[in-house]
Amino acid sequence: MALLSSTAVLLDKELRTEFRSRELLTTTTVFVLIVIVLFSFSFDPTSEESRRFGAGLLWLALLFAASLMLQPCFLREQSNDTLSALRLSVSDPFAIFLAKLVANTLFLLLTELLLLPVFAVLYNVSVLPMLHWLVLVFFLGSLGVSITGTALSAISAQARMRELLLPLLLLPLLTPILVASTEVTAALFDRSPYVQWKGVGFLAVFDLAFLTILWLLGEYLLEE
Amino acid sequence: MKKSVLSAMVVVLLLGLSGYASFFIAPTDAKQGLIYRILFLHVASAWTGLTSFFICFIANLLYVLRRQPRWDWLGVSAGETGLVFTTVVLLTGPIWAHPVWGIWWTWDARLTSTFVLWLLYVSYLLLRTLVEEPDRRALLSALFGIFAFIDVPLVFGSIRWWRTQHPQPIIMGAPGAGLDPTMYKVLFFTWLAMLGLMTLLLRQRYRLEAMRGDLEIIQRELEAA
Amino acid sequence: MKNLNSVFAAYMIGWTVFFVYYISVSRRTMALREEIERLKNSLSRGK
Repeated sequence: MALLSSTAVLLDKELRTEFRSRELLTTTTVFVLIVIVLFSFSFDPTSEESRRFGAGLLWLALLFAASLMLQPCFLREQSNDTLSALRLSVSDPFAIFLAKLVANTLFLLLTELLLLPVFAVLYNVSVLPMLHWLVLVFFLGSLGVSITGTALSAISAQARMRELLLPLLLLPLLTPILVASTEVTAALFDRSPYVQWKGVGFLAVFDLAFLTILWLLGEYLLEE
Repeated sequence: MKKSVLSAMVVVLLLGLSGYASFFIAPTDAKQGLIYRILFLHVASAWTGLTSFFICFIANLLYVLRRQPRWDWLGVSAGETGLVFTTVVLLTGPIWAHPVWGIWWTWDARLTSTFVLWLLYVSYLLLRTLVEEPDRRALLSALFGIFAFIDVPLVFGSIRWWRTQHPQPIIMGAPGAGLDPTMYKVLFFTWLAMLGLMTLLLRQRYRLEAMRGDLEIIQRELEAA
Repeated sequence: MKNLNSVFAAYMIGWTVFFVYYISVSRRTMALREEIERLKNSLSRGK
């Protein structure tokens, strides 16, 4: 209970910081938009094939965007020297991670919901009939990205070359997310769409596994 | 000194025997002929690499719990030797694939997951070079090592589940499918010899890392003086 | 004896990688040992 209430307080702080400037959201959205448009030059985006490729490039763009978006997550605390204050304010350091990863998941989901219509129009795929399933997949995928990304940004914030380091650490780690969510999304973009439960289950397992590790190791990640 | 020379000689002897066995004791494969003999080097290296990464993971865990430098030393040594063995897997893979499948690289489940595994541990070693302070470097890389190792089964699982519509390799289709018992014995013997080699390399690398620890202490003393 | 070259190349490359790694670790160890000796000397002279 104490964990939940302190998480709620911290989450409120995260959201307020972001929505004051909306820096992260705007830059991430524009970045994904650029990638989606540029990708269309590498193959014929109107062909039947784009249904298969579309899902993959959408997820790839999101992963790249996330690895940039998660950068300031701990860096901001460090440059403002607020991390130690943050740590003192809560009894369980897991609350800090929980608040940050929930906030990051929300940011990613918002970006995705903004971009999905654009993507659907540009690549000529229908998203409306399967929208609720798409939201589920995007939620599970973004949650996985945020869990690992938040943890690794706590690591990369303490190293040199941090801006370059986070994508290097994060992207190979996210291979399973990329493969699974691409396949599930592609199945939903199909001419006769279907839900690939195997993939949904896989994403849930990924999220659960890394959430557990983060819960176990969180306090060490924030050690001074 | 004497002991290390002796153990090195034992390892060289084992490796020589396994080389002899791979070429002259194991029968020639009916379908692939001579080329399949790369299997012994290729598969045994893969198993040894995985063993090494497992040692790295255990060392990482022990470092986080106990905070003794020696677990950090073991971790980086095992990570590096694992990377060496995986490199051999990735280099010998295409040499084998080319005459058999007609292409250098196939995005086969195992080859691809091994590549991702290789990238993960490259990142692990890269992270170490980017943190100055020894204790912090040890802790951060140990934590990343744990994350990376937990990711390995997920990488293998996801790639295997979704990326297998490609032509299935003959021998690697299922683990050791179609291997004759003598081939199995030779393969396990080669693995044993490779584990010896791994131990040798690991010990050498561990000594180097321990000396680095000494150097850091001396440097601190010098600065204090 | 088809593909003998490939088998030969694979084994050569494999063993070269191991050997090169072994040499590189030995050389790094040697360089470090000298460095430590040098520092120890300057430390004892400083006292």
